[in-house]
Amino acid sequence: MSETVSADQVLQTRGKTRDLEAFVVKAAFDRAGRACAFALGDGTIAIKRHGDDDWHRTTAHEGAILDLAADAAPNGWITGGDDGRFYRISPDGVAALIAPFGMRWVEHVASFTDGARTQLVACSAGKRLCVYNAKDDELKVFEHPSTVTGIVFDPKGKRVAASHYDGASVWFIASRSDTPRKLEWKGSHIGIAMSPDGDCVVTSMQENSLHGWRLSDNQHMRMTGYPSKTQALSFTKGGKWLASSGADSVVLWPFFAGGPMGKPPTELAGGDGINCTYVTCHPKDDLVAAGFADGLVVIADIASGRILPVAGPGRGPISTLAWSPDGSHLAIGTEGGFAAVVDLSKK
Amino acid sequence: MAEAAAPPSQIPVTVLTGYLGAGKTTLLNRILSENHGRKYAVVINEFGELGVDNDLVVDTDEEVFEMNNGCICCTVRGDLIRIVGGLMKRRDKFDGIIIETTGLANPAPVAQTFFVDDTVKEKTRLDAIVTVVDAKHLPQRLIDSSEAEEQIAFADVIVLNKVDLVTPEELASVEEQIRKINKYAKIHHATKGNVSITELLDQGAFDLNRVLVHAPDFLTSDEHEHNDEIRSMSFEAEQPIDAERFNAWMGALLAEKGGDMLRTKGILSYEGDDRRFAFQAVHMMADGDFIGPWKEGEKRVSRIVFIGRNLNRPQLRRGFESCQVA
Repeated sequence: MSETVSADQVLQTRGKTRDLEAFVVKAAFDRAGRACAFALGDGTIAIKRHGDDDWHRTTAHEGAILDLAADAAPNGWITGGDDGRFYRISPDGVAALIAPFGMRWVEHVASFTDGARTQLVACSAGKRLCVYNAKDDELKVFEHPSTVTGIVFDPKGKRVAASHYDGASVWFIASRSDTPRKLEWKGSHIGIAMSPDGDCVVTSMQENSLHGWRLSDNQHMRMTGYPSKTQALSFTKGGKWLASSGADSVVLWPFFAGGPMGKPPTELAGGDGINCTYVTCHPKDDLVAAGFADGLVVIADIASGRILPVAGPGRGPISTLAWSPDGSHLAIGTEGGFAAVVDLSKK
Repeated sequence: MAEAAAPPSQIPVTVLTGYLGAGKTTLLNRILSENHGRKYAVVINEFGELGVDNDLVVDTDEEVFEMNNGCICCTVRGDLIRIVGGLMKRRDKFDGIIIETTGLANPAPVAQTFFVDDTVKEKTRLDAIVTVVDAKHLPQRLIDSSEAEEQIAFADVIVLNKVDLVTPEELASVEEQIRKINKYAKIHHATKGNVSITELLDQGAFDLNRVLVHAPDFLTSDEHEHNDEIRSMSFEAEQPIDAERFNAWMGALLAEKGGDMLRTKGILSYEGDDRRFAFQAVHMMADGDFIGPWKEGEKRVSRIVFIGRNLNRPQLRRGFESCQVA
């Protein structure tokens, strides 16, 4: 991976790129897969639509945008910012307030849809996790013992989980009782993921490790050995592998054949001492896109271990990656403000 | 190909501590309303009456957690790690970050945060811990709370506030009390927090050199203090320091006595290196880095300062001296 020229070939031949001149906090395609939004540290959103070479830029938040996700609807997105606001973003980039949170930063957002009637969006601000329906009605407010550091819906939209100090809380959204299932493990948990079957909750920790709980039998899972913090966690489509950043390779934990307990992780695209800063798994196949601190982006085929370079080093640490829902396009963003949408479909 | 963003310089962080009613908020207001032409992010724990125009105020709960890293005393402010991470995403960079702690807060977790987290270490530097104390009520506070004493022990700069409310004799006595705990902090007398911003921010106190050079070096006896009161002491070594020996000695010392050692800081002249090495520790967490070169003709004396409880002066002196190149 030392040949910069060849490493950039995919980007140069199949990518649409822009210098957005602000920290790219998060990229996300809408659920219809027609457009990709980039949420930026200057409060603006840049939208790249398929088949349109213009990038549409609008202002949403007054400070930095802290998180972005596709809306539960087919088009549009949701965002949270350090201005204490939770917005719905229209396909044209127009922000409509869902809820204000005063001085509290809205740090995490998530959405869920069953593709039909159920459309949920959620955000966290301080210790609160709030869930809304498509009409912006507040359905639930869940309180936690400390600030929420990550939120995730389960695959059926029945539960929502939040990471915080000393573990995570799993809430039934429709439940009348306001007590969560508490997943306890001492320390500072800074991010969360749930397996596609809804049985495993995994958090990343300040102490450079992951911790997991299997809900069906209360099994704890410890995944350690990272040289730095894990910022990104992503399960493969079938839930066989959990991909993670935080080492100088893509670290993949096996969630099959009794794993991850007692099993070593598979490491891909490593060996050059550069930290992996972001990972996201392909929506259909056992592929993972990974970004590194030097700006390198690769796609790794987990079964074969083959690596396809997408973008070479030199554009700043990769801060976000996102697949389109059909897996045909990959969005890339860096701390330095570089953004790209790469078309990986057969031509 | 787009150029990689240049690595941003580290943003200085000032920690503002002080017991309840000492005048912290008044001081903060003064700092922020002064026409300083700079932009600060101010992290507070309760939204008070802050007169803020140009600056960003971040409201947070002090969320302390214990690191599972083997340091028995290592507690860290997780909220600050999150906030620094968030601030780094903004385009409008700040000239500095000011963190106000609650009156009852022990300063250790906030200081230790700057040793623990990679992003925080990379993007920011702890510039100085500024402690506001009330000249009138400090003697009583020192009797009824250990936090007041620790806040003084941790300070690089002390604002001795409300001096208009005490007699010159009381002032001298309170200053003596402060000096007993922390000989090496700079003390500014103030009324209603009227200290210039230039005396508080961008101190480079962790650059240490200035603090150490200007440290009043009182003659002190070698007697071993057997009590729980916080004391401070400093030592000098004229011969260059052997880095390996120093690390072994300091590592063992902090591992064994880190609970009692509130702050340790030093400027070292390592053998075979023309640069000054700045060393600092908070309890067991230690860090060090080469800072600028020794000046031409400057006497290369290594100095170290200890602030803590149960400090054994002869032992520390012998230990430090034995790190010199034979």
